[in-house]
Amino acid sequence: MSPRRAASTGLVDRSQALRFTFDGRTYSGHPGDTLASALLANGITLVGRSFKYHRPRGIFTAGVDEPNALVTVLSGDGREPNIPATQIELYEGLEVESQNRFPSLEYDLGALGQLAGPLLSAGFYYKTFMGPVFGPLKGTRFWMICEHAIRRAAGLGRAGYEKDPARYEEMNAFCDVLVVGAGPAGLMAAEAAAKAGRRVILAEQEPKAGGSALWSGEMIGTRPAHQWAQAMAEKLAATENVRFLPRTTVWGYYDGNTLAALERVADRPSGTAKGLPRLRLWNIRAGKVVLATGSLERPVVFPGNDRPGVMLAGAAERYARQYGVLPGERIAVFTNNDGAYRAAAALRKAGAGVVAIVDVRPEISDAARALAQEAGVEPLLGHAVTGTAGKRLTRITIQRFDAATGRVSGDGRPVDVDCLAVSGGWSPTIHLASQAGGKPVWDEALHAFLPPSPMQPWVGAGAFAGAKTTVEALSTGRDAGLAAAGKKPSRARLPAVTAPALDPAPAPVLEIKAAGKAFVDLQNDVTAEDVRLAHREGFISVEHLKRYTTLGMATDQGKTSNLPGLAIMADARGLPIPEVGTTRFRPPFSPVSIGALAADRHRHFKPDRLTPMHDWHVGHGARMMEAGLWHRPMIYGQPGETVEQAYIREAAAVRRSVGICDVSTLGKIAVKGPDAAEFLDRVYTNTFSTLPIGKARYGLMLREDGIVLDDGTTWRLGAHDFLMTTTTANAGKVMQHLEYFLDAVWPHLKVHVTSVTDQWAGAAVAGPDARRVLEACVTGTGVDNVALPFMGIVHGRIAGAPVMICRLSFSGELAYEVYCGAGHGAHVWEALMDAGEPFAITPYGMEALGALRIEKGHVTGAEIDGRTTARDLYLDGMLSKKKPFIGSALMDRESLIDKNRLRLVGIVSLDGQPLGGGAHVVEKGSLDELGASIGHITAACYSPALERHIGLALVKGGKSRHGTRAFVSDPLRKRFGPVEIVSHHFYDPEGRRMHG
Amino acid sequence: MVERISPLGAAFRPGRHGNLTAGPGVQLAEVTPPAIVEAAAWPGQKEALARAVAGATGLALSALPNAGAVGEQATAFSIGPHRFLVTGGDDLTARLTEAVPLETGTLTDLSHGRIALRVAGPRAEWVLSKLFAIDFAAAAFPVAEGRATAHHDVLAQIQRTGPDRFDLFVFRSLARAFWESLCAASEEAGYEVVR
Amino acid sequence: MLIPCPHCGPRDVQEFSYQGDATRKRPDPASTDVHAWHAYVYDRPNPAGPHREYWQHIGGCRAHIVVERDTLSHEVLGAAFASDLSNQGGTRP
Repeated sequence: MSPRRAASTGLVDRSQALRFTFDGRTYSGHPGDTLASALLANGITLVGRSFKYHRPRGIFTAGVDEPNALVTVLSGDGREPNIPATQIELYEGLEVESQNRFPSLEYDLGALGQLAGPLLSAGFYYKTFMGPVFGPLKGTRFWMICEHAIRRAAGLGRAGYEKDPARYEEMNAFCDVLVVGAGPAGLMAAEAAAKAGRRVILAEQEPKAGGSALWSGEMIGTRPAHQWAQAMAEKLAATENVRFLPRTTVWGYYDGNTLAALERVADRPSGTAKGLPRLRLWNIRAGKVVLATGSLERPVVFPGNDRPGVMLAGAAERYARQYGVLPGERIAVFTNNDGAYRAAAALRKAGAGVVAIVDVRPEISDAARALAQEAGVEPLLGHAVTGTAGKRLTRITIQRFDAATGRVSGDGRPVDVDCLAVSGGWSPTIHLASQAGGKPVWDEALHAFLPPSPMQPWVGAGAFAGAKTTVEALSTGRDAGLAAAGKKPSRARLPAVTAPALDPAPAPVLEIKAAGKAFVDLQNDVTAEDVRLAHREGFISVEHLKRYTTLGMATDQGKTSNLPGLAIMADARGLPIPEVGTTRFRPPFSPVSIGALAADRHRHFKPDRLTPMHDWHVGHGARMMEAGLWHRPMIYGQPGETVEQAYIREAAAVRRSVGICDVSTLGKIAVKGPDAAEFLDRVYTNTFSTLPIGKARYGLMLREDGIVLDDGTTWRLGAHDFLMTTTTANAGKVMQHLEYFLDAVWPHLKVHVTSVTDQWAGAAVAGPDARRVLEACVTGTGVDNVALPFMGIVHGRIAGAPVMICRLSFSGELAYEVYCGAGHGAHVWEALMDAGEPFAITPYGMEALGALRIEKGHVTGAEIDGRTTARDLYLDGMLSKKKPFIGSALMDRESLIDKNRLRLVGIVSLDGQPLGGGAHVVEKGSLDELGASIGHITAACYSPALERHIGLALVKGGKSRHGTRAFVSDPLRKRFGPVEIVSHHFYDPEGRRMHG
Repeated sequence: MVERISPLGAAFRPGRHGNLTAGPGVQLAEVTPPAIVEAAAWPGQKEALARAVAGATGLALSALPNAGAVGEQATAFSIGPHRFLVTGGDDLTARLTEAVPLETGTLTDLSHGRIALRVAGPRAEWVLSKLFAIDFAAAAFPVAEGRATAHHDVLAQIQRTGPDRFDLFVFRSLARAFWESLCAASEEAGYEVVR
Repeated sequence: MLIPCPHCGPRDVQEFSYQGDATRKRPDPASTDVHAWHAYVYDRPNPAGPHREYWQHIGGCRAHIVVERDTLSHEVLGAAFASDLSNQGGTRP
């Protein structure tokens, strides 16, 4: 006895065969099959081993709610674990394997763990490993050792290590109305909203539209329901203002009516067009949302309810009708409601034997009775299934059951079956509505939670909203669509529905208490007894219950177990279910591949920011480094050179003759307007209104709290026209700082700021021969000491390109910054290189730049670290006393002028060994004994000018320690050694060279 | 006159790429005009600035948010509450300098600082929707209007210059990285890089 | 979360940079009242409910916007240009 194909084909195309492999064996299915239906059609019911006990498990559902049948999809070297077989569309060449079994699915050693079953109750791990450990294991890493073994034994599939070759994309969409779910209600809603002229997106998680219509066996109008649905979907897909997205799961409902959806675009290797993503993440901003997400069936919990062959009644019906597959040949039905009778009739009609209908209720409706007759069996009322047998289901035990008391009585009667179809009634799929906010509302008649009242602009329709019949689904769907479109409900006639008049109310029975393991959560192996144990131990809140037992966790998020779990807890507490409450649903509704969330951002998260001279640098041997988003030359290494050798050579060339450095990355902000000078006086600690046109000035900015924000030079190009430069790292921050003050504080100041960082290419030409290089190539202006004094600005041309040259120095040498339009950057750079050739002009990178500035004691981001004040950096001479400026009010607070603050000093290594940034400075100690820190080194290098290892440091007391000895303590790098604290102006402290 | 060098470098690969089963769905091009100027008005002066820009360029420019105008020689669109991005020929800066007095606002030359990339064709809206969280449908984003938006770190000022044509102004330093992203996003629709 | 930028229209929160409490008042620049400066720089009410905040449309028009937002529901109750609502206290502009 085993499942097989039925005579009728359902909606599967049997004219075409698709081969697939499961655990290495090849099978065949058809287009329209899921992996689950194809496995069943091949007689396979055992598809996995359970999470904790390694019990054999089969296919429990036919949809997104599947807790059991999780498989790993293989593709080349890649593997994607934990995919429900019910959610995999069959394709030619599909390869899957089962999970959590060793050595094989059939003979799994892990199943021995079942013998230890009583030990593995809820909270087992906490109690055993996480609590206080006494005895010989105290203080050991016992848990760490056990964890490894337990994690291997328990669990789901494992992910691969190979790079995922698939492509993932993100898409933004806007619509007036998003309809979630293309069942009868959703189709009607989409049609109504589309007819009203609204821009509509209709999303359906299944490959085909129709929802329950695909397998209800009902008639809508004159056609079978699935034909009606297909015609509707085709019509809508062809409508211009409708976007129909099949295979698209709306999984998150966020603020501002923004919803996230996952489209499986090309989730198969074959036939994939180039550039097509495997998955597409949709961010949908919807005016209104129609939730028509239907409902999910829940099981009745009873001992042995987890054997392969036990499945939901609706799933069994769906396999028979939609997929043309019989889930068994001798099928019993166990139910608390009328719905399962329709399944029984459908299974019989498809060719299966229905051997029993077991119903907990003492009485049933006429319609149910009629369906039982169609199924060819007399229902056993007032009975329940109390046990099962077989690795694959072979037998069930039936006993008398009193629904009023919940008691089982009488002798067990065995019935041989190979499939048991179970129904505990249906719960609306309220996940998205719950995510959108609000508390679900309990409905006593349906014995289920209905959606909360909307906290965001959504309208509910169909079974989601509590509709009990397809007629109601059609009418609520149309009304919801009209409401979402801002229209009144319609009175036009709806298509007639031919369906049995079933009683929608289930009996309030979700658990049969009898001897044996009864599973509530099949995926996490949580039993009814675990829930009661949690109750006994005080974990009575649903949120605690979930965390203590893991009920409702993992990939299925308890879609089949939520309500039975709540019912058992409510029973244990002696409270009605709504008073026990339900956990709040959170995104995602169903699992979303991490790849889809990261999307194929093509490194968009961190775009490469390139200067105009980038290609030149790369072409001339530069080793590039990242500075924020920027790529900057670190060194221009020559063959055989180390980084250190290269930067020493480069820095020495600057001191000896001339070097050239790309400074295009410096932040540049145009500050313009009649109040520009006044604004700069407020922004900088020093004064800019007195700066003559054609001159630059070094400036310092503080934050409101008195801490240094940034420094740089600002050039006055005209009466109302300044060019501010910032450090590379702080360009964005300074821009925002200026914009804040102009927008929020002083909107009346007539000043505009615009980022012109990208407008200008900049090259620093530095060294004793710098002027000669410029003289050789600049036209239209003199560059001598008179025409271009220190901090002067001239305009001219280099190789025909307009340039602006400012004489300023970061290196301490005679130096110029040459700016030109970025599009001319490479052109001007090459002209400077040509002009510098007679002087052996040397391009230098960040490392040499760093060494030169340390020698000069210039501060950068390492010292302007968000904690230092102007005084700490000995820049107090720049704090104007004549005017208030940003930060002036708070910069003199007690703690900011404390004499023990860390202040800037120079450090010289006395043992000839290098110093490291971040190392501590101590007064005593050793390599093994840490001394008390008196400060830390911010930057260090080998100084070619001083021929020693030097550094800048922030040290308590600062200047007062000049000339004293201390030690560098760097235990991480195993460095301890003597240093001398000196002035941070190591090199040419009088500045003769740069003024020369 | 020294030629400006494109920042796209070797990333600019003329020809057809990606999924061409239905022909290229978009054409991609660099269309940086000779002059790009940001014109900014003082509070209350945006209409005066729009008139001044209109006078200098011949465009019919409104001061409304997102408004823009497309002409043969020049384009302009609003990029902020007080700002327009104006493009034109070599004489644009001179014309604008004459037309916009300091009482109205200021001008900042961005001819080197911004790069214009054009996405045109039947799948332009689809491709751009992958990169930006704004509504590209014609009803929401009419021809000539502008939008300021961002793709992660890349700020983009976008003008719809035709029914299925968009010009994107991005920072020069990020243009190559963004161009590569644009090409990647266009592979699904198939694209043709045109000079 | 969508923020209705008065220039650009509703945009995703990702385009914005949070710039803090917009109920703060900056003292007169010449003020030496350390308590007033302290309140401006550090004191934040952090209410549960409607609150006024600065959001800069950094990935758009770059304007600072004063957004009134319910911190419990994320509902945006209003938005205006910060430049229309200077936070400068004192008499000297």
